[in-house]
Amino acid sequence: MQLLWLIPALPLLGFIILVLTRGQMARQSARLVGVGSIALSAAVTLLVASDFYAQNQSQLGFTLELWQWMSAADFNAGFSLYLDGLSLSMLFVITGVGTLIHWYASGYMWDDPDYSRFFAYMNLFVAAMLMLVLADNLVLLFLGWEGVGVCSFLLIGFWYKDPANGYAARKAFIVTRAGDTAFAIGLFLLFKELGSLHIQDLLQLAQIEFSVGANTPTLIAALLLGGAVGKSAQLPLQTWLPDAMAGPTPVSALIHAATMVTAGVYLIARCHSIFLQAPDILLLVALIGLATLLIAGFSALNQNDIKRVLAYSTMSQIGYMFFALGVGAWSESIFHLMTHALFKALLFMTAGSIILALHHEQDIRAMGGLRKQLPVPFWCFLIGTACLVALPPTSGFVSKEAILNASWQLPIYGPWLWAGGVFGACLTALYSFRLIFMVFGGESTCQPEEPKGWQFHPPLLILAVLSLFGGLLVLPAGAVLPASPDGHAPLLAELIAIGLPLLGIGLAYQIYSRGQWQQLRHAPRLSHWFEQGWGFDSLYQRLLVQPLLALSKINKNDIIDQMPIQLALVSSRLFTIFSRMQNGQLRIYVASMTAAAILIIALTVTL
Amino acid sequence: MDWQQLLALTPILLAASISVILLLVIAFVRDHLLTCLITCLGLSGAALSSLISVGDVAQQVTPLLIIDDFSRLFGALILLISLISAWMTYPYLQATDEIREEYYILLALAALGALILIASNHFASMFIGLELVSVSLFAMVGYLAHSRDQVKLTLEAGVKYMVLSGVSSSFLLFGVALVYAYSGSLSMNIFSQPGSPLLAPQYLILGTTMIAIGIAFKMSWVPFHMWTPDVYQGAPAPVTGFLAGGVKIAVFALLIRWLMPIQGPYLPILHNGLMAMAALSMIFGNLLALRQDNLKRLLAYSSIAHMGYAAITLIAAINVGNLSPLLAAEAAGMYLVTYAAVTMLAFTVLSHLAAQDLNYETGQLSHYQGLLWQQPMAGMGLIIAMLALAGMPLTAGFIGKYYVFIAAVDQQLWPLLWLLIIGSAMGLYYYLRVILILVNNTPEAKPTRNWGLTPLIILLGLATLWLGIYPGPSIAWVQLALAGF
Repeated sequence: MQLLWLIPALPLLGFIILVLTRGQMARQSARLVGVGSIALSAAVTLLVASDFYAQNQSQLGFTLELWQWMSAADFNAGFSLYLDGLSLSMLFVITGVGTLIHWYASGYMWDDPDYSRFFAYMNLFVAAMLMLVLADNLVLLFLGWEGVGVCSFLLIGFWYKDPANGYAARKAFIVTRAGDTAFAIGLFLLFKELGSLHIQDLLQLAQIEFSVGANTPTLIAALLLGGAVGKSAQLPLQTWLPDAMAGPTPVSALIHAATMVTAGVYLIARCHSIFLQAPDILLLVALIGLATLLIAGFSALNQNDIKRVLAYSTMSQIGYMFFALGVGAWSESIFHLMTHALFKALLFMTAGSIILALHHEQDIRAMGGLRKQLPVPFWCFLIGTACLVALPPTSGFVSKEAILNASWQLPIYGPWLWAGGVFGACLTALYSFRLIFMVFGGESTCQPEEPKGWQFHPPLLILAVLSLFGGLLVLPAGAVLPASPDGHAPLLAELIAIGLPLLGIGLAYQIYSRGQWQQLRHAPRLSHWFEQGWGFDSLYQRLLVQPLLALSKINKNDIIDQMPIQLALVSSRLFTIFSRMQNGQLRIYVASMTAAAILIIALTVTL
Repeated sequence: MDWQQLLALTPILLAASISVILLLVIAFVRDHLLTCLITCLGLSGAALSSLISVGDVAQQVTPLLIIDDFSRLFGALILLISLISAWMTYPYLQATDEIREEYYILLALAALGALILIASNHFASMFIGLELVSVSLFAMVGYLAHSRDQVKLTLEAGVKYMVLSGVSSSFLLFGVALVYAYSGSLSMNIFSQPGSPLLAPQYLILGTTMIAIGIAFKMSWVPFHMWTPDVYQGAPAPVTGFLAGGVKIAVFALLIRWLMPIQGPYLPILHNGLMAMAALSMIFGNLLALRQDNLKRLLAYSSIAHMGYAAITLIAAINVGNLSPLLAAEAAGMYLVTYAAVTMLAFTVLSHLAAQDLNYETGQLSHYQGLLWQQPMAGMGLIIAMLALAGMPLTAGFIGKYYVFIAAVDQQLWPLLWLLIIGSAMGLYYYLRVILILVNNTPEAKPTRNWGLTPLIILLGLATLWLGIYPGPSIAWVQLALAGF
């Protein structure tokens, strides 16, 4: 347990080594450092986990205080790590999936000239993400939170020579920043109200100090939710995620599918007792999740870029996690987070293999018939899709059924929410299998060269196995989070929940399998609208970006700056005037002295 | 005059004897080094004798002079400054073909005048001290009139200083006469004495004002500052150093002694006058230094601004209802000590350079380009001096300015404090500009080796830093000097 600090420290060390060598390191050594640091971190995680289970501390949690970070008056924040079931679950996901993705990336990025820079950013990201989940207080959590944001920015814009990538990176950073600001204000408010930012204290204080449904906890929860929706690309701050696909595919797999985007889910789960005091916000969480999963589902259905389809699907799956949090299925949400991390990483990495095989072709309309040519990616993709669609008995089925089941239990809104969720599942099946049929089905139209080797297939296969059987895992998060509602939905409801995805698959087969989609142009305008992510981008463009740009144009010369500038100008003018008085003529000097003396004497005598 | 009193006068007597001995020696042997050594020896002897007697009972020697710890400690400071001045004069004069030896007689006389000034509590001794300093300085400023290319500037500076100093002295003398007419006494303790029933108190007010005008000239407070840049520029660098360091500090010490015990109905007038002069000095000094391209003139304007800052401590000390004027006096003392170190450092560097190359003597900033790379020690010294003048932390200048701040805040002198802050901001601009020029190398420049005054530069540079990093001893020193008040 005392080794806990090594888990974030190892990736950080990897980052430092890679940065200090400034890309001078040989590729092989950079790979060793970049992948090895994460693998070691995963090994330490296993060690710590075995210790954790041996001491049966799943209830208590373990705090490792490293050092005092800052202290001012009655505020203090330490560099302290906290390990309980929830953070351990996240550790498994981050280090486990992270290792596999790094492994895969070491092959995927092999030809890139900035190989070591890539791994430096990736290692820094993992370190920040681990700091986020291990933080003992919200200040440290915020450090990790911003750290992953910076790394996301750096990695989306990794190929910075293309301005579009830089734009995507800035967009991701700025949009999430809107959420982060809310989060930060929430932290200030929490500290003002409860006098502490230590998470475990907060959880207890919130129950004592706040009454259920009062204004303060509602406001705080809403602000924290603002941070969470920004990071997790939920409505209304979801617009950055599809553009974030500009980064290399392993980045999309690690940051924009498996780990960082789920940080919002983690935050809400971590602060669950604050949200429990604000039932309105909790319902809002569920509604945001539901709305996002439906909107993202429709958008995914109309995308033609394989990575954008997966991005919208990620958005929609995180919508499920929010949905689960909102309906009180806390541990189910974290469970879905884990299974989603597995199968979505698998899907992204397989997509990466396909993209590499097709020489960076990402448009699915240009693909087709890849089933025979790329057998391993096909099977891996199929397994991933099956999980995504929640076909029994995959891990996705286990976690998604649990969520839907829990939503049914919710009083009043329950069945409605459930219906929305099930409809979303049908939609998921439709767009997922659209992807399968378009990419792998039909006639072969291209000549792929499949990337092979120990860096490509083993991580895919390991993830495929994990995705299939991940449903059997038992996460230690349950002990930390509030219990989910008991009971089962009626059998009919369960059957519908299982059946609707199958219906979606059938529909997809009907529409997309034989290339009939080319005729499917009944509602081009609607379809285009869906493709553009329901017009949120242009809405924000008009509503926020353009007014801001207009304002900045008005203020191009910085009105506030004018004050010091004018001051400087005036000073410099005065200098000229006064130095003219200093002309070196003795008579002027004597005269001015005498005049001044007379003036002073006159003033003195009269006053 | 008994034995005790004579003993108390030892430093002054020693300083006086230097000039007599020098006159005799020069009559027989003309030797520059010997003359300089005798001067240094005499000055350090006087400083030591002054320091040894610190802690003795205060002695009123005749009605003219008071020898207390304030006189002893600030006297020692003045003697130290004179010593440094003599040191920096030696290589400077060595580089000229002027007759050199008589300069040291003038320096010794000026030091004597400054000592008398600090110790005086009588207008007669004050006037003698002031004139002793001034008259010596007329000659010192114009001393190189025959040998330097900038003859005109030097001579012009000497004449200007003489004429303007004469004008100011006439004000001062008339003021003293008015005060005497009112109180029948020349004691500087005018405010605590019963006045003449025959004359209106306006006599006293008028007299005080005119004395203040005379002193304001020496302090180069605006609007009596006009002479400062011309004289600073024209005078040889070591003389300017003594003018900026020695004279200002002696006169300011006199002001502390004169104004500290003031109580009574006349306070607001002096108070307001000082306030106006401080404010004007801060504004004009900084504004005029802003785009100055001559280092010596820049230092002149900077000294005007600095004297404005220093005046704040005096205003705080005599502020109505100030129950603890000692804090303000401590601030004034600390300001003097730190200012002395910084000014002497800056002018030592200037003298060091001027002794090598006349181009530096003109003070044109363009000649200083890349100095840091050509003469690293001199460059570093000047950079430290500039940082200290700007009031950067870890230098003596910061401590001085910090004390002014405390004194101003303690007495809630908000307008002056604002001017101080704005002035400091402006100061940063022109001091940093000098540093930029010093650092900015020219391609053809080559490092030159010249020992010259380097040891003195190092000593003063370290002193400047030491005062900034560890001001404890100097604060204790100032508190000791002020313990008598």
